[in-house]
Amino acid sequence: MAYSDKVIDHYNNPRNVGAFPKEDPNVGTGLVGAPECGDVMKLQIRVNEESGVIEEAKFKTFGCGSAIASSSLATEWVKGKTLTEALAIKNTDIVKELSLPPVKIHCSVLAEDAIKAAVTDWKKKHDGNGK
Amino acid sequence: MRSGTLNVPGIVGFGKAAQIAREELAKESVEMFRLREKLRNTLERELDEVYINGDLEKRLPGNLNMSFAYVEGESLLMGINDVAVSSGSACTSASLEPSYVLKALGVGEDLAHTSIRFGIGRFNTEEEVDYVANRVIEVVRRLRELSPLYEMAQEGIDLKSVHWATEG
Repeated sequence: MAYSDKVIDHYNNPRNVGAFPKEDPNVGTGLVGAPECGDVMKLQIRVNEESGVIEEAKFKTFGCGSAIASSSLATEWVKGKTLTEALAIKNTDIVKELSLPPVKIHCSVLAEDAIKAAVTDWKKKHDGNGK
Repeated sequence: MRSGTLNVPGIVGFGKAAQIAREELAKESVEMFRLREKLRNTLERELDEVYINGDLEKRLPGNLNMSFAYVEGESLLMGINDVAVSSGSACTSASLEPSYVLKALGVGEDLAHTSIRFGIGRFNTEEEVDYVANRVIEVVRRLRELSPLYEMAQEGIDLKSVHWATEG
């Protein structure tokens, strides 16, 4: 399997591995994929309530090198963005950045889903607090 | 005249291989089995939640197929990329389906994705087996730190009872 240098880099030096406590009111958790599919990503964001900016992100992934790289990259990209900006991240951006071959595109889709799931979870916790 | 072309080098080579096998197979099987068992025992001793796929007795002496729960096969392969092994995970197949062989053996899909096939041959040494065992242990431990499934299992969550959202 020919991996791009960036995928190899993320695999060897994954960014932001870890976890925030799920109960933390400022944390949004996205858990996507399924073990039977061979791909599970957990992506968490910690949002500054006042500014609405994602200050921190963490991930854990069960999946191939491309899946690990896609989710690692996703945590890098969401940091410093507002929720709206994070929702605008497209899987095609990830594919381009990591030079993913066609057979690995679905890994980038899951990473985009993980970002959206984390944002949705945070918004659910802040229902009625104004969007 | 001839009706076709026979694979003469293949026929001669196969005949020679059969002769060598008749002379050496019994003796070499013992050594391959010993090395295979050393690899298996080392991995089982150092790592928890590893499973053998297929019958342990009715098996080629040099063959080992193990699943390492919570660690996906292709990511494991990437970590031991100086060792020639293969995986039954969907990510390693062109069809994106897990191994139908493992499925026929009754291995669940989740464990199929975590499987690695090791093939020990007549020229492998004990040093090589020790090296592979240590590399596998190191990479499995590292990837379990990255694994949300391992994290959930550590928290006592029964993964089979979780409702997995496959879309965000």
